[in-house]
Amino acid sequence: MKKYLQIFKISFQQEFAYRTNFIMWRMRNVLQIVLVFFLWDAAFSSSEKILFGYDKAKILTYVFGLIIVKAFVLSAKSADVAGEVAGGELSNHLIKPVNYFKYWLTRDVSSKVLNLFFAIGESVLLFLILKPPFFIQTNFLSLLMFFVSIVLASFIFFVLLFITSSIPFWVPEAAWGVHFLITVVAVEFLSGALFPLDVLPLALQNILNFTPFPYMIFFPLQIYLGKLTGFIAFKGIFVSGIWAVILWGVMNSVWRKGLKVYQAHGR
Amino acid sequence: MSKTSDKKPERTIIVEHLTKNFEVTEKKKGLTGSISSLFSPKKKTVQALKNISFTLTRGELVGFIGPNGAGKTTTLKVLSSLLYPTAGFIQVLGFNPWDRKSEYLKQISLVMGQKNQLWWDLPASETFELVRAIYELPKREYEKNLDELTSLLNVKKLVNIQVRRLSLGQRMRLEFVASLLHNPKVLFLDEPTIGLDVVAQQKVRDFIFDYNRRHKATIMLTSHNMDDVANLAKRVIVINKGGIAFDGKLNELVKKFAREKMIKIYLSKETDIKKFEKIGKVKRFNYPQAVLSIPRETTAIAAAELLQNFPIADLTIEEDPIEEIIRRVFRKEKTKLVS
Repeated sequence: MKKYLQIFKISFQQEFAYRTNFIMWRMRNVLQIVLVFFLWDAAFSSSEKILFGYDKAKILTYVFGLIIVKAFVLSAKSADVAGEVAGGELSNHLIKPVNYFKYWLTRDVSSKVLNLFFAIGESVLLFLILKPPFFIQTNFLSLLMFFVSIVLASFIFFVLLFITSSIPFWVPEAAWGVHFLITVVAVEFLSGALFPLDVLPLALQNILNFTPFPYMIFFPLQIYLGKLTGFIAFKGIFVSGIWAVILWGVMNSVWRKGLKVYQAHGR
Repeated sequence: MSKTSDKKPERTIIVEHLTKNFEVTEKKKGLTGSISSLFSPKKKTVQALKNISFTLTRGELVGFIGPNGAGKTTTLKVLSSLLYPTAGFIQVLGFNPWDRKSEYLKQISLVMGQKNQLWWDLPASETFELVRAIYELPKREYEKNLDELTSLLNVKKLVNIQVRRLSLGQRMRLEFVASLLHNPKVLFLDEPTIGLDVVAQQKVRDFIFDYNRRHKATIMLTSHNMDDVANLAKRVIVINKGGIAFDGKLNELVKKFAREKMIKIYLSKETDIKKFEKIGKVKRFNYPQAVLSIPRETTAIAAAELLQNFPIADLTIEEDPIEEIIRRVFRKEKTKLVS
């Protein structure tokens, strides 16, 4: 346990060594949210209008919630893993008595703590500036399920990143493309990070529900907004738990195979 | 692991019939080639190691030499658990490296001249702390090792400086510290002096020699730099095209492959070179210096003859440089000499 505490610490320090980088990354997030915010603000000209089952307060809360949920779920240092596999830096870890998955999970947690801290600050600031109507969830059960669902969501994202990061074992030059595919295409579009997924046609939603993506952003926010409660919410958590287990199994087997063909290049 | 008596040397590294193949995708030339290999990649199997066997006993320091791509680094990577062997048996300290048991990894270290484990943006002391946690070193042992390593490698003053601001030589020595903090029993060194200046090379060499003696550590060292090997290793394994071309004492290698010695003379008066041809082959002549190549057995006679019949100010007898000998080994790689 102590080793992972130390990993947490050094990872945190590293983050501070890249202050400018970090601030730029946060700025990007804030700007994105502001843009989406004004888009929806304009769409809901009057506060009584209801579109796709959202009133103005709920849609704007969704947008605000995105800051927090994205900071928690999508901030992941393990995005570097694909590069490590392709470049051979992976070797550094493999020859040490440390579990590679736990190593990166720890680094992710440290990154999440830092990002969450900033995200809360940012949303308070934006809230004071924009003064949007805001929906505050008071039901304890919903809040608890919200919390469980974002923890599961982070884990699913972590495992997904690791699965795709194993592609360079076989195709070393694919590292960057894979990262792009996962973080930009799949995650931003299919998870609900840009818009709530229930604005999509029903057929498309049904297909998406068979993938793990909605459970990363959209689903936790639905619970917070109280759109999913009781048994349905519980069922959703169960399904995302199953996804986590399935993907974890896939990750382990892919990595076992990948390490056998690993060529420890470049070093 | 069973305890062995002092008389019988403990076999620390056992490699039997080790083979390692790599699958490589071939890229065709040009744009159309790139596109066609994107859709129908041509796979080729490259044999990096072909059925090699050797053993190392505890405390041995063995030099591993061979040209680029001969399989030196591949062997070290297999032994240190990075690569999965295609076939063969390997055992290090009683473990199968591929199992990656913590108990095993805690006893070995792989140092590569081009690798960095130090965190670039932080002072090295932070990486050391991380290493301490990962290897679960007791504080006292850690401090003792750190103190010993930093003073031996002369880097005490550098540990608190951001790594990116250090020179290559300074960084390499700190990498050494980080790799040895856990006091490994088996050390795999891959090109440890690459890119270093002569002074730094010597420091690292002295250190390796000392570490080997002090800790009775088993060390396998690869290097392009023949000085590394000649100064450090008594035994050498010469590897070429994935196979072992020679395994034995360094001086046997010299005897076997250096059939001639070099006599270097400094003339006090200008003399006709042709006269030297009767005694031996003239390899270089640049007045006042001449270098003759003489068969091993007759060097003494030749030297006497030279001193008697020529105006000679100084004369030395030398072995061929190791590089030259090694090159000869590679030319005759079919003659397999395993001691």
